[in-house]
Amino acid sequence: MKNISPVVELIDVSKRFGKITAVGNVNFSLSKGAVLTILGPSGCGKTTLLRMIAGFESPTTGKIRINGKPVQAVPPYRRSIGMVFQNLALFPHMTAGENIAYPLKMRRFPPQDIPELVERYLGIVRLTGMEDRRIHQLSGGQQQRVAIARALSFNPDLLLLDEPLSALDKKLREEMQLEFRRIQQKIGVTTINVTHDQREALVMSDEIIVMADGVIQQSADPVSLYRQPSNKFVASFIGLTSLMKGTVDQIEGTTVKFNVNTTSLWGQTSSKFHIGESVEGAIRAEQVRVHTEQTRPVGMDNVLDGVVEEQIFEGDRMVYQIRCPALDSAPIFVFDHDPAHNVLHRRGDRVVLSWNIRDLLVYPD
Amino acid sequence: MSGFNDRVGTPLASAKQSSQFPVRWRILDAAERIAALIWPRSLYPYTGYLLLVPALLLVFVLVIGLVYIGGYSLHELDLSNYRLKESFSLTNYYTAFTSATYRTVLLRSIYASLLVTVITIFLAFPYAYLMVRARRAMTRKFLLISLFLPFFIGQIVRAYGWLIILGKEGLLNNIIGFFGFSPLKLIYNYPAVILGLVQYMLPFGVLLLAPAITAISRDVELASESLGAHWCRTFIHIVLPLAKPGLVGSSVVIFTLTLTDFAMPEILGGGTTDFIANSIYDGFFQLSNSGLGAALSMILVTLGTAFVVVIFSIAGTGTLGFSKGAE
Repeated sequence: MKNISPVVELIDVSKRFGKITAVGNVNFSLSKGAVLTILGPSGCGKTTLLRMIAGFESPTTGKIRINGKPVQAVPPYRRSIGMVFQNLALFPHMTAGENIAYPLKMRRFPPQDIPELVERYLGIVRLTGMEDRRIHQLSGGQQQRVAIARALSFNPDLLLLDEPLSALDKKLREEMQLEFRRIQQKIGVTTINVTHDQREALVMSDEIIVMADGVIQQSADPVSLYRQPSNKFVASFIGLTSLMKGTVDQIEGTTVKFNVNTTSLWGQTSSKFHIGESVEGAIRAEQVRVHTEQTRPVGMDNVLDGVVEEQIFEGDRMVYQIRCPALDSAPIFVFDHDPAHNVLHRRGDRVVLSWNIRDLLVYPD
Repeated sequence: MSGFNDRVGTPLASAKQSSQFPVRWRILDAAERIAALIWPRSLYPYTGYLLLVPALLLVFVLVIGLVYIGGYSLHELDLSNYRLKESFSLTNYYTAFTSATYRTVLLRSIYASLLVTVITIFLAFPYAYLMVRARRAMTRKFLLISLFLPFFIGQIVRAYGWLIILGKEGLLNNIIGFFGFSPLKLIYNYPAVILGLVQYMLPFGVLLLAPAITAISRDVELASESLGAHWCRTFIHIVLPLAKPGLVGSSVVIFTLTLTDFAMPEILGGGTTDFIANSIYDGFFQLSNSGLGAALSMILVTLGTAFVVVIFSIAGTGTLGFSKGAE
């Protein structure tokens, strides 16, 4: 492997619209064949970032390199980038086959090769035989596949996905996530995906960048991102997380004791705190255990009394929303994965919550 | 259960307290009650047809007029008493097609209509495109207002405006004269009529093209670009085909409006560049030959209809958005 330079490289890229900073000092690089997801709430600048890479917008400051070459002066039609748009942007006056052949014609592939390539990519997205269908004759999922085939048929260096799955219903969306993963692995194309759907990010990516307010919050592989969120925003954006505010009371290495009113809680941190600093603890719903008064855990550090405020049945699990008088903050969410529902807690029941010290993550407030 | 019923209430029960409702609600409720007496619920499926009646009546009146004109056209003028003869004949049509004058007028009208349609679309497309795509709201507003201003002036006044600019003693000739050139004959000729008509038709062209261009998603153009097409190719392969409904609609409107135009050839042509409408006017009011005028009218109606039929049979009425699935 002689060529180890990254396929895409962003160096201090910023984009301002007037006084608004849409993207601020973004740095990342992506190696060949990897799938990167930029995850963030709407308006966080992720789409602007994608459009800059595609060449539809140019950065106010900073550099974008594709295959080691700066691309400021390269117009979109000269970049080797396939893009799948949020609304797919298929050409409604062409057939599925003509849509897939379009980039091949525009990029001057030898005409005799085009039918064969169209056939091949129709096969890859499992639409063999649909070549002559008009776009409006295809279902939503089939249109997705045509859009993906069109973006891939000319063998681009980079594939960009601008939330193309967001318009699909949940079942089809989850199916297409796996389908996309299959196609990506088969072709090995370097991919940048933009989404606000955390599940999609976790399922599809090798690496995830979480963005908020135009700034990268964290960049990590899906498992580390989920297990070790680097700040409060990431912790609350991914997974179902409950937050509790307090002040630092005692520090023992990476273990922190903080007080919420008169209650003391123990948690884990990677930040440096001083005594009396205000902090926020974050706990994932699946890390909290719920007990009754009879099974109250003894000798544990984080034990709280609460009352069931809401009981939400999600089929594969029960979600409890529990109000703890000791924490005058928002309620705490708890997943109960007991498939038989042996112990059901009803609205108004008194319960006891507990969790491990290492699962309560403490962040600066 | 009774508690639940109390909460929802029936319209009858709540009518007792209707005095508490805002005046606008009560007026609308009363109007609905009156409407229900006049047009009972059982007739609801026919409401659409009821609303169609006034428009159909208007069209029907037009058809009656057309039938009468068709009738006139079949009677020759009696030069002894300047009345139409009782007997039927095709003399008027024969005159219209064989007379060199009318043949010239016919061909001139058709040729001018094609020319004006092509020139106008050429000018209107970039205007409409920019108006739709401009990023700044100010630019869009400016383009839209400049488009609408001429509408408030009217065709006759605009034609006179051209006379002021292009006339023998007009603005342009004054400027030319200032530089020592002899005045040019800029009006009462064919190009002047075409210029006036193009200027008159431009807003129609833009307004009919704009919705078609709006319907093309910006992302579709960007997609084409990212797939390797320079904007020229994007325009030819994507924008033009997708703007077809607007192109067909505006061509039909501009062509038929030009074909039947009277004021521009009358004022800017000054009798040198008569269109069919001018000949019809002369037939009815100058020659007092309503038979010939009617025959020319029938020819004009037939020509216009034929054009529209040909365009729609080529492009398909689907391009007007009548049939679904055009998107």
